Amino acid sequence: MGRERDDSRGKQTWDAEVAGRGVMREVAPLPVLEVSAVAKVYRDPMTLKPFTAVEGISLSLRPGEIFGLLGPNGAGKTTTIKMILGLTRPTRGTIRIWGREPQDRAARMRLGYLPENPCFYDHLSAREYLGLVGSLFDLSSGTARRRADELLKRLGLEADARKPLRKFSKGMTQRLGICQALLNEPDILILDEPMSGLDPIGRADMKQILREERARGATVLMSSHVLAETETLCDRVAILHRGRVLEVGEVQGLLGAGVIEWEVTVETISDAAAARLRGEGHRVDAAGRNWIVRVREAEELQEVLRGFTKDGVFIHSVEPRRPSLEEHFVRAIQESGAGRA
Amino acid sequence: MNRVLAIAQNTIREAVRERLVLVLGLFGFALLIGSQALSPLALGEGRKVVIDFGLAGSMLLATLLAVFLGSSLLHKELERRTVYSILAKPIRREEFILGKFLGLWVTTSALLAAMAVILAMVVTVAYGDTPWSILGSVGLSVIELGIVTAVVVLFSSFTTPALTAFFGICAVVVGHFAEDLRYFASRGAPPLVRALTETVYWTLPHLSVFNARGLAVHGIPVEPERMLFALAYGALYIGGLMIFAGTVFRRREFR
Repeated sequence: MGRERDDSRGKQTWDAEVAGRGVMREVAPLPVLEVSAVAKVYRDPMTLKPFTAVEGISLSLRPGEIFGLLGPNGAGKTTTIKMILGLTRPTRGTIRIWGREPQDRAARMRLGYLPENPCFYDHLSAREYLGLVGSLFDLSSGTARRRADELLKRLGLEADARKPLRKFSKGMTQRLGICQALLNEPDILILDEPMSGLDPIGRADMKQILREERARGATVLMSSHVLAETETLCDRVAILHRGRVLEVGEVQGLLGAGVIEWEVTVETISDAAAARLRGEGHRVDAAGRNWIVRVREAEELQEVLRGFTKDGVFIHSVEPRRPSLEEHFVRAIQESGAGRA
Repeated sequence: MNRVLAIAQNTIREAVRERLVLVLGLFGFALLIGSQALSPLALGEGRKVVIDFGLAGSMLLATLLAVFLGSSLLHKELERRTVYSILAKPIRREEFILGKFLGLWVTTSALLAAMAVILAMVVTVAYGDTPWSILGSVGLSVIELGIVTAVVVLFSSFTTPALTAFFGICAVVVGHFAEDLRYFASRGAPPLVRALTETVYWTLPHLSVFNARGLAVHGIPVEPERMLFALAYGALYIGGLMIFAGTVFRRREFR
């Protein structure tokens, strides 16, 4: 499992006495979604040669969190999602949605799913498609119509509700995908690359919707390549590579409180001073009329600042720079041994 | 049942909006009107020829519709990945297959019924009396279409459109000649061929059970006993095929 930091059990609490008999009882909230040591091995239909798409993945989702599934192409994200949805069966391991199997109808009643690059029946209109989805969730036609209208309005598709889906652009199809995933007001929302095909405004809308769903109490599991947006959106992430979990944990926990470097912005410094700083191993770059000096260690920072003060250099700002999720992700993949497959 | 009906309704919409049904319907209409041209050749038996030709032509078109729409029924869903969103919803795979079957059966039966109405109108206008006897024959053909549709849905649940169409057509042809095959095999064929023929005879549907065109042509109604037998046989056969198709589809992996 690599450097797993799964802290999903961290919220187990101990209840006090039960019925005054001094009995201690563990009250662990039922995991919303639990993936335990799941593996998926495909066989080539011609040669029967096995191919391991997922190898022993374990995840546990808490109620009301946004959980990101990150990884390069072929990491096993989509296969994991398909196993959670019951579209494909695990070769080993178990998946439980509120303690139920993925194929269980009661479990699926509480799920919403947006596939990667979604495609819907192009002979239907958006409203007709949502009507079909409503029937599959046993919604009355009135309820389905009301919710469909609300969602189409919320996603900006109101004017195109009667247009055949074959005339929808990629972005519109993605928005309809969100509509159909939210129609049953799901408790778990599973989104495979939700930002795919969306323009910047669409991505901002999508982030807003996901935050609103979290505020409503829904748990969101999303896979994504867009790490900058994942970092600001997800409470926890799992980094997958070649079918394995490299790391699981809260975004800030994974990135650490540590500072990777300090950026000191100063006014003009002499060439000699710049050369000296470079000689000491610091990066010195011109930035307009200012200069930025990047220092790695806090102790060295003190030395550099003292030097500037002594030379009478005006210091504009000193800012710590923390690692981004993208940098952490790339490092985790590289440290796993092979880099991108 | 709502979920099955929702899938069936969607299948009907898809078939109608793809216009294949309309094209075949117009073709059938032209065929029925054109059949009037044959009546002078029939030496006073024009009414019988028109009914026979009309019923056979209608059934052929409805069967072709079942085979060609049905063969791409699931393949298209998988290719476009529309099935992923649907099967992630609270619907059993058996319900999905059953809905697809029902939708296709209703579509093909509606085409057959529409053509039968046109046939009845053509005969009524041309010969002055309504051929009510075609009702029983059309009823039996609807059951036969159910079996053909179920065969096609079964094959489409695990194989390619081309193979589905091939097996569907084979089932129709062999199903209509099952009795003849068995008769010829019983007359001096080698034991292996006889055993093979017996297997085919008992496995494939006996579609000749549903052919009552001869009675309809002569204005003889289908006896209730025959209708009941055909209904029971059809229900059992369709039920068996649907259970098999549902089992195959349930085990299918969506990569």
